[in-house]
Amino acid sequence: MSTNTYDAIVIGSGISGGWAAKELSEKGLKTIMLERGRNIEHIKDYVNANKGPWEFPHRGGRTQKMIEDYPVLKRDYPLNETNLDYWVDEKESPYTEIKRFDWFRGYHVGGRSLMWGRQSYRWHETDFEANAKDGVGVDWPIRYKDLEKWYSYAEKFAGISGNRDGVPILPDGDFMPPMDMNVVEKDVQKRFKDFYKDSRHFVIGRTANITVPHNNRTNCQYRNKCWLGCPFGAYFSTQSATLPAAMATGNLTVRPWSIVTRILYDKDTKKAKGVEIIDAETNKTYEFYAKIVFVNASALNSAWVLMNSATDVWEGGLGSSSGELGHNVMDHHLGVGAGGRIEGFEDKYYFGRRANGIYIPRYRNLNGEKRDYIRGFGYQGGGSRSNWSRDIAEMNIGGAFKDALSEPGNWSFGMGGFGETLPYHENKITLDKTRKDKWGLPILAFDVEVKDNEKKMRVDMMNDAVEMLTNAGVKDVKGYTTDGVLGRGIHEMGTARMGRDPKTSVLNEWNQVWDAKNVFVTDGAAMTSAACQNPSLTYMALTARAANYAVDQLKKGTL
Amino acid sequence: MNRRIAIRNMALILGSAAVLPSCLNDNKGKSVIELKHLKLDAEQETLVNDLTETILPKTNTPGAKDLGINLFVFKMIDDCYDEKGQGDFMAGLKEFSEAVDKKHGKSFSELTAAERTAFVNDIEKQSKDPNNKDKDSKAFGFYWTVKGQTVFGYTTSKYFMTEKIVYELVPGRYNAMFPVKKKATA
Repeated sequence: MSTNTYDAIVIGSGISGGWAAKELSEKGLKTIMLERGRNIEHIKDYVNANKGPWEFPHRGGRTQKMIEDYPVLKRDYPLNETNLDYWVDEKESPYTEIKRFDWFRGYHVGGRSLMWGRQSYRWHETDFEANAKDGVGVDWPIRYKDLEKWYSYAEKFAGISGNRDGVPILPDGDFMPPMDMNVVEKDVQKRFKDFYKDSRHFVIGRTANITVPHNNRTNCQYRNKCWLGCPFGAYFSTQSATLPAAMATGNLTVRPWSIVTRILYDKDTKKAKGVEIIDAETNKTYEFYAKIVFVNASALNSAWVLMNSATDVWEGGLGSSSGELGHNVMDHHLGVGAGGRIEGFEDKYYFGRRANGIYIPRYRNLNGEKRDYIRGFGYQGGGSRSNWSRDIAEMNIGGAFKDALSEPGNWSFGMGGFGETLPYHENKITLDKTRKDKWGLPILAFDVEVKDNEKKMRVDMMNDAVEMLTNAGVKDVKGYTTDGVLGRGIHEMGTARMGRDPKTSVLNEWNQVWDAKNVFVTDGAAMTSAACQNPSLTYMALTARAANYAVDQLKKGTL
Repeated sequence: MNRRIAIRNMALILGSAAVLPSCLNDNKGKSVIELKHLKLDAEQETLVNDLTETILPKTNTPGAKDLGINLFVFKMIDDCYDEKGQGDFMAGLKEFSEAVDKKHGKSFSELTAAERTAFVNDIEKQSKDPNNKDKDSKAFGFYWTVKGQTVFGYTTSKYFMTEKIVYELVPGRYNAMFPVKKKATA
């Protein structure tokens, strides 16, 4: 047997790739996980994790040099000097924007599991039924009951802290103890509840930060430095959770610097026999062979891999026979919300930095309500107290001003919406063969935009935020909105959707490519609709479910 | 003040900027610090140094200069401001300097601390006055840039974060209702 032969290949090492590697290796499959970027070793390579804010020369800010080097990253918060190494080198890996799309990527072991927002919400039956009911896109081939036990499975292993709130639209999960709301959040919550009763809900965020020790990981220390990498392993990442579990089996090999250029498709068996890679350091080409391939390169790059595969059979690549590969790009549209001032509570503060906030789950277009758009949105936010960043009346400069800077300032409360984007066939990525990346590979071109439904929804997203905060006693509430350019949600989805019919979907109900049954795509690419909840928990559940099915089928000899 | 902290902070803040011996720090000729983009003469540099100290003066606790905040201000403007921002800064610095000269017939650094404070307070007042037709002048823009970066530098300094407020690298817990003294100031 060639040393390049395994039972399973996993392309990508982020949230879903890490899960695939863990599940497959735990089930006894000799597995190789291919990662296009460098290795980042847990704890050891979190080089900035133990620095104080004063140890960064620009205190975390962005220099002109950084702005020049990162023309995309600079468009939003990710560009900063504290974790610059975790973001892709845009000069090596450019992309074409037919329409603007803000694509924030992490090319290294762990992928964006190192920098993710960690908010973890189950979907509801409503979300799985939505496309069929609305006649939008195609119907999900699965329902909540198909995923329910896998949500539990994912939550128990990843460690999700949250409260069992009993909110109908937001199914409770197998949670660790919730984090606390601070005094102002509790107050706003009370007024919110008094006003909205059970029609809308205001709950503590459900986050993949563990609140009790778990699998040799230390519970959250309230540093709020998650995105530098956590030395305590307190938030879920490939490095803190799935990778150690997979390595412990002795079945997993991780190969960094491995850019998968295509899946090797065998016309006779109608299955994949492996993958081809370019070693990103040496530019040498290698092939790896396996019985099954899990594609977890992140939604857009997973589609890219498929587009470059089996092009001798299908010009548009593996999975393109449906006409949907690379189409239906979705994200959550955001950058709209409201904030205001809280009166009182001058004798209260909080100790510790909680990497979590509050959540207002979707309430629009439910229970028979019909707005001038379909679907809905949720909000994330929180209350906080400033110290220095305030206008101190009557004290412009001088010693007293200096002293006043160290005293707590006003409380404020703010929140921003996350809106569902519909799957539009014309929102697509394609290969731009006129441009190449550093390795001579074609790059992606984006033709994606928010449309009427999202724009109408955004009007509600701002107005509702203002109204709810005002009703909950927040003062001087001001709303804000932006263009809602997609990509900034960093929740790319939909480019190889699941469905019931090979003519209109790329994947079946088990995340198998219709045209190559031993190829599974279980990252955001698989999503048939976007809902408005943060999607990573659903990728974890889908991945565990598909891996379980794949191994079952292998054992039965049907794959 | 704790000199060692100040020196350590300065070293951290300076990064690539080099410090020449302080005996060169007179009111003429070359500036003492080396910057990549900003071209300051010694008088301009001293003005900014003294302005940061006027905003956050040494009292029974360290002032801006003790903590190297003046150097932080230079570093931020030199590294993080674009060409236009740096141009506005230099033009505003010039206007500010001229305004001092017009009013007092001498440089900012030659004023007493009380005169500087009065001058800066007046700048604040004028720039906040909606009826002031010059409220968007470059001198005001310069002043607010320096003030913003001075306050930012001070409130993110090690001194401030470890001795003025309680900053722990590893809090270890979250107390959602931590009691504090009621705000003492107006």
